[in-house]
Amino acid sequence: MLADDAVLFREGTARVLIEAGFEVTGQAGDVVELLDLIRRDPPAVAIIDIRMPPGHSAEGIEAAVEIRRMSTDVGLLLLSQHVETHHAMRLMTEFQGGVGYLLKDRVSDLATFASDVRRVANGDCVIDPELVARLVDKKRADDPLADLTERERSVLALMAQGRSNSALSAELYLSGKTIEAHVRSIFMKLNLPLDAGDHRRVLAVLAFLRS
Amino acid sequence: MTMEASFAGTRSGRPAADCDAHADPPGASHDGRPRRARRIAPGALGLLCAALVIGGFSLGVHLPNLHNGLIAATFTAVGVFVVAKRPGNREGWLFIATGLAHAVMFFGRQYGFAAAATNQQGDVLPGAAWVTWVGVWPLPLVLVLSGVTLMCFPDGRLPSPRWRLVVVVMVAAGALLSLASALWPVEYAENSLAVSHPLQVGGYETAQRLFNLMAPPSYLLFQFAWAACVIVRLRRAEGDEARQLRWFVYAVAMGAATMAVGLVAFGSAIPGVLAVPVVALAAGVAIVKYRLYDIDPVINKTLVVGGMAAIITTGYVAVVVGFGRLVGVEPGPNPLLAFAATALVAIAFEPARRRVQRVADRLVYGNRPSPYEALARLSTQLSHGRQHADLFSGLASTVADGVGAAEVTLWVGADEELVAVASWPPPADRGSQIATAPRTLAALGRDGRTHVRPIVHQGRLRGGVTLTKAPGHELTASENRLLHDLVAQAGLVIDNVGLGVELQHRLREISVQAAELQAAAKRIVTAQYEARRRIERDLHDGAQQRLVTMALSLQAVSERAAAIGDQTLAGKVEQARLQLSEALAELRVMARGIHPAILTQDGLEAALGFLTERAPLPVQLDVCLERRLAQDVEATAYFVVSEALTNAAKHSGASSIAVAGRLRDGRLWIEVTDNGQGGADGHWGSGLQGLSDRLATLSGRLTVDSPIGGGTRLSAEIPCG
Repeated sequence: MLADDAVLFREGTARVLIEAGFEVTGQAGDVVELLDLIRRDPPAVAIIDIRMPPGHSAEGIEAAVEIRRMSTDVGLLLLSQHVETHHAMRLMTEFQGGVGYLLKDRVSDLATFASDVRRVANGDCVIDPELVARLVDKKRADDPLADLTERERSVLALMAQGRSNSALSAELYLSGKTIEAHVRSIFMKLNLPLDAGDHRRVLAVLAFLRS
Repeated sequence: MTMEASFAGTRSGRPAADCDAHADPPGASHDGRPRRARRIAPGALGLLCAALVIGGFSLGVHLPNLHNGLIAATFTAVGVFVVAKRPGNREGWLFIATGLAHAVMFFGRQYGFAAAATNQQGDVLPGAAWVTWVGVWPLPLVLVLSGVTLMCFPDGRLPSPRWRLVVVVMVAAGALLSLASALWPVEYAENSLAVSHPLQVGGYETAQRLFNLMAPPSYLLFQFAWAACVIVRLRRAEGDEARQLRWFVYAVAMGAATMAVGLVAFGSAIPGVLAVPVVALAAGVAIVKYRLYDIDPVINKTLVVGGMAAIITTGYVAVVVGFGRLVGVEPGPNPLLAFAATALVAIAFEPARRRVQRVADRLVYGNRPSPYEALARLSTQLSHGRQHADLFSGLASTVADGVGAAEVTLWVGADEELVAVASWPPPADRGSQIATAPRTLAALGRDGRTHVRPIVHQGRLRGGVTLTKAPGHELTASENRLLHDLVAQAGLVIDNVGLGVELQHRLREISVQAAELQAAAKRIVTAQYEARRRIERDLHDGAQQRLVTMALSLQAVSERAAAIGDQTLAGKVEQARLQLSEALAELRVMARGIHPAILTQDGLEAALGFLTERAPLPVQLDVCLERRLAQDVEATAYFVVSEALTNAAKHSGASSIAVAGRLRDGRLWIEVTDNGQGGADGHWGSGLQGLSDRLATLSGRLTVDSPIGGGTRLSAEIPCG
């Protein structure tokens, strides 16, 4: 399911998704249409532009909240021209997984985008790497991130994006055990509670990074 | 009855004036008749009165009846004169009514006296009993009418509606007494009338007793009522009415004094009776000509002369009789004592006169301040910086009070163009308006009576003071000195006022310009923000959207190329797609710099979070705003923080920055503090100025506190309703 008020972008994205093997069950130009379509035929994932008519502000998030209220099975992937931490935090806190927040540009990288959509459909969290990079790179007065090793920093960045340990090991070509060790070390150094759930883990990392 | 006739006369007096005012076309017959009747009526009544009075006097002169004749003649004459001069004046008609009523009484009584005289010779005048009767019984009612006439002086109306009750009581008592007098000869003996009453009704003794019981208090009431009414009026009166009343009261007082002196000195009421016309004449002058003659100096002189006469007489008598008795000189003419008394009087005359004069002045002109008081009052007025009109009239009244002038006018301007700005008494009090045409200094004193003092300040003529004293009074040396001092101060007043007026004028101009400028600046800044928002929106919805779509297309092409096995092409297209992605990222940053979408969408608090996330230095953010603010306010605050963060990062060498924001008292307070090297004033340059300007358009304020080595604290304060 696709919702964006820009027809060209919507069509392009639909074509890309179809090529990647997805079925596009419907396209909507505004929130009302979107909710109507989802009510009739709930999809696995709804890809929604955050900024939509009439207000062109954050209607997409309101629509997502509404959709989650209708059905917890619909994954929600929100797209935006720019990613903001407070939106990410809101999505993380209001939705128990199955949620994503990406820059619109990511659509053109088919492989990554397709995997992100699948992860959202599976109930995972997806956070745009640019936002995470911004937070990780942020300088702090008393920087606890300074204690992290280079490897640990890249693990932390991927963790914040919502990747699971297995995804991390695939991405970094490391064994699951090594990854687990890194994660434990990071959590220790940053004084974060150890948590198995992907979603809680992302939320904790984001909250830490943002602070 | 006389009363009814008089009221009918006064009532119809008003429309006459109205008709005149309407200026009907000549020959309008329906209006012409009553108008002509109005014009003829006073003359006809005057002639009737004249006939009665002349006829009466032709029957001889009888002292007990003399006053009626005098009152009849003078009151009617004055009434006719007043009505002729001022057709709408009700008091004139009351005078005519009073005069006519007395004329009727006069003639009736004259006829009675004549009849009594001829009776003794055996002749009988026809209808003597009835004619005399007509001259006797209206007396109580005529007294009421006279009282009402005096009560209504000078405008023909009672001072307030409450007095109507008094008049009703008077009329009731008068009617009762007149009725008794008409039925029984209760007043015949009193008036030495030897003619019999035409009606022979029984119960005369009882009637006479009751009449004797009732008449004195009633007559006293009539006298008391008009006297009280005149006093009430006199106390309340201002301006013209006060002058009119002073004339009248003066005449009454002189009449009473004459009566008293006549009774005491000569044992005769004749002088008092002869003084009656004075009252009527004074009243007439007061109504018609009060502006021509000022009574105050006359009263003043009378008081002085009367006071001196009393003092001299008392002194003389005291010396001649008292001293004579003390040293045992025989009563009777004694040249030595008379000489001593005369010498004493001669020595004491001048000091006594001066003292009496001062008392008279105080009585007539009120308390006059001492020169010191006058100067002190002026400087108080000056230091209180009141309105300039007040200052000018204050100056005029101070001069008038200080030197006891009758009229003072303050002129302002250079010579040839002097304009009257204030006068005393105030214009409303005086009847004449302040002359507005510019005059020259020389022209002001042309009438010879006016004293002119030029006001010179710092060598330049700034205006003048003109004053006239009451006739017969000259400026004394001390008054002259005070006037000189006051006029010297006047220069300062005029200068001050001139400066104040100029300043106020300029201030008004400047504040209007400032308001216009600020409004213009605000419009410019608002338009700028609006333009930035629009550009950001266009980029977002237009360029960025299309570029993303293009990236999608490139992606598709790359896929297709890979599918047909052209790896080179696929690689190149992928390259282009990546470049496009970079371009998109750059465009995003640019759009954000132009106007952050987050500010429009999520407000200042979120936008400041966004700023600090991207700041190159660690930032402690402490912002709590609770609500969205006006777009201008949010944008300005955002750019203030943005600029402050950039500057801190670039120049201050700070290792951390704190951003705080709060809403307090309808104002947004933003503070950005760094721990850098301070001394920021120099290198903040145009950026800071720009921020300051933007804040100013919102009536906000920017303060930078940046001591060298002590960090920089930048605070902005914006009103936000």
